[in-house]
Amino acid sequence: MSGPDRGARLAHLKLHDIRAFVEATLDVARDGTTLITGPNGSGKTTVLEAVAYLGTQRSFRTTSRDAMVRIGCERAIVRAELEREGRRVTVESELRVGGGARTLVNRRTVQARSELSRAVPTTVFSPDDLGLVQGPPARRRDLLDGALGIVDHKAGAALDALERVLRQRGALLRQAAGRLSAEVAATLDVWDERLVASGEEVSEARRALVADLEPRVAHAYAALAGHDRTACHRSGQKAVSMEYRPGWDGPLAAALVQRRTEDVRRATSTVGPQRDEVWCAITGRDARLHASQGEQRSLALALRLGIHALVTERSGAAPLLLLDDVFSELDRDRCRALVRHLPPGQALLTTTMALPEGVEVAAVVDVRAIGVRG
Amino acid sequence: MYTGSLRALIDELGRLPGIGPKSAQRIAFYILKIPSEDARRLADSIVAVKDRTTLCEQCFNVAESGNLCDVCADDRRDAHVVCVVEDPRDIVAVERTQQFRGRYHVLHGALNPLEGIGPDQLRVRELLGRIDAEEITETILCTNPNLEGEATAMYLARLLTPLGIAVTRIASGLPVGGDLEYADELTLGRAIEGRRAVVP
Ligand SMILES: [Zn+2]
Repeated sequence: MSGPDRGARLAHLKLHDIRAFVEATLDVARDGTTLITGPNGSGKTTVLEAVAYLGTQRSFRTTSRDAMVRIGCERAIVRAELEREGRRVTVESELRVGGGARTLVNRRTVQARSELSRAVPTTVFSPDDLGLVQGPPARRRDLLDGALGIVDHKAGAALDALERVLRQRGALLRQAAGRLSAEVAATLDVWDERLVASGEEVSEARRALVADLEPRVAHAYAALAGHDRTACHRSGQKAVSMEYRPGWDGPLAAALVQRRTEDVRRATSTVGPQRDEVWCAITGRDARLHASQGEQRSLALALRLGIHALVTERSGAAPLLLLDDVFSELDRDRCRALVRHLPPGQALLTTTMALPEGVEVAAVVDVRAIGVRG
Repeated sequence: MYTGSLRALIDELGRLPGIGPKSAQRIAFYILKIPSEDARRLADSIVAVKDRTTLCEQCFNVAESGNLCDVCADDRRDAHVVCVVEDPRDIVAVERTQQFRGRYHVLHGALNPLEGIGPDQLRVRELLGRIDAEEITETILCTNPNLEGEATAMYLARLLTPLGIAVTRIASGLPVGGDLEYADELTLGRAIEGRRAVVP
């Protein structure tokens, strides 16, 4: 099946000193699913991790970027060649141990994370996705923000600014060493003003995105959890509800003034969008606390599918699907339902078990044949 | 691989901003090939710039030792309007626009707690000292159009406005997140022309 025309297609991937690979190159099917095969620990997930890194500047497996660099090396490189609207786009990330990373799009350094997420938009399904429901609010904010950067350039820029303001404000609070002097107060004033500007904008964008997302997640959830749907009908509640809950009350400017002494004492920003939560419920009950693990799994998948559908519709292009061993954690019914509802487009897929019935594969790549290992 | 003076030169060149190991090696081998007098002229100019230049005691622009900078020394310039910039290179950018006939004040940076830069690390006190002493009536805040530059402009606006002078900020329209230094002169010229009062 041919996907939307505006999307970026991954054509070729090259890794240098990424995890176990000294060097690896691979070609990806232009349409449909490229299946990556190989025994456990042979580097299948590494390929997906590297592709996702280009757009997110993060690993979806570990919090430490250094872990992606091959042991004993100072730096690693991921390079992808993509095709967008008939033109070739090269995206290259360099990772240095101990911090320091840069990414070039067509040889031009790009710093704004939102711009990179548009250059290589991806939707990642990973075995760790249960954490989207069970984990801390940061997991759900990251999910939203990844999509915001792609569908809303202005909100993406506000997100980039917000991240930077929070780092500056945090540094200032630590330097204050617990004392709110007149000088600290005067400098805090200007950082708070920047925080309010970007923070209110991010907050509004997140709120609107959650409203837009809720019906799509509900739709996907109904499709995945069809077999235990009766429970929803019985209670008369919406099967899935989502709510954006800002990390402060009232106007942000007032909340910052009110918490200033506390912020200086604790040397951290205690109110703001960095404390936002996306509350999810199944039939009216908090999904994090009161749902069964099966329901949580379905919801996690539904969140991914919902975001993917939203980004596809609003940006006019389907993000590249990265499916890392998603089937092994699912029971038969959910597995079948997911296969039935996987969106069309380009995908990279790894699996540790036999591929479920119904998955069409356009190309197979044996990870043992793509390069040299250290 | 290399030893002695060649190694030392490559190491020194490699410390310069924007010069990687490969470029350092290429430049070193270039210097190895040029006539001695050319090499000496290059070395002399490096020593001279350190020996003979200092910061202008009025505006902190680059100046020859013991003198005011060229702008401060030029009494045809309007002494009552001061353009506040982060870096001496920004003066070059503003001068290129030919839109500004006043004087400058160089902060030598912008507020940046992550790099340990607060108001005390910038030439802020010196700017406040100039307002009365030089009967300044307008300051144009010409810091970079990025987060740190905007925060610095707002910080200065809050200090300067109570002094009863006009405080303006260059108009938006410059590429956001960029450096003044890289703005083309037409765009920067328009930004200066279209400056607006800051409401702190
Ligand atoms: Zn001067």
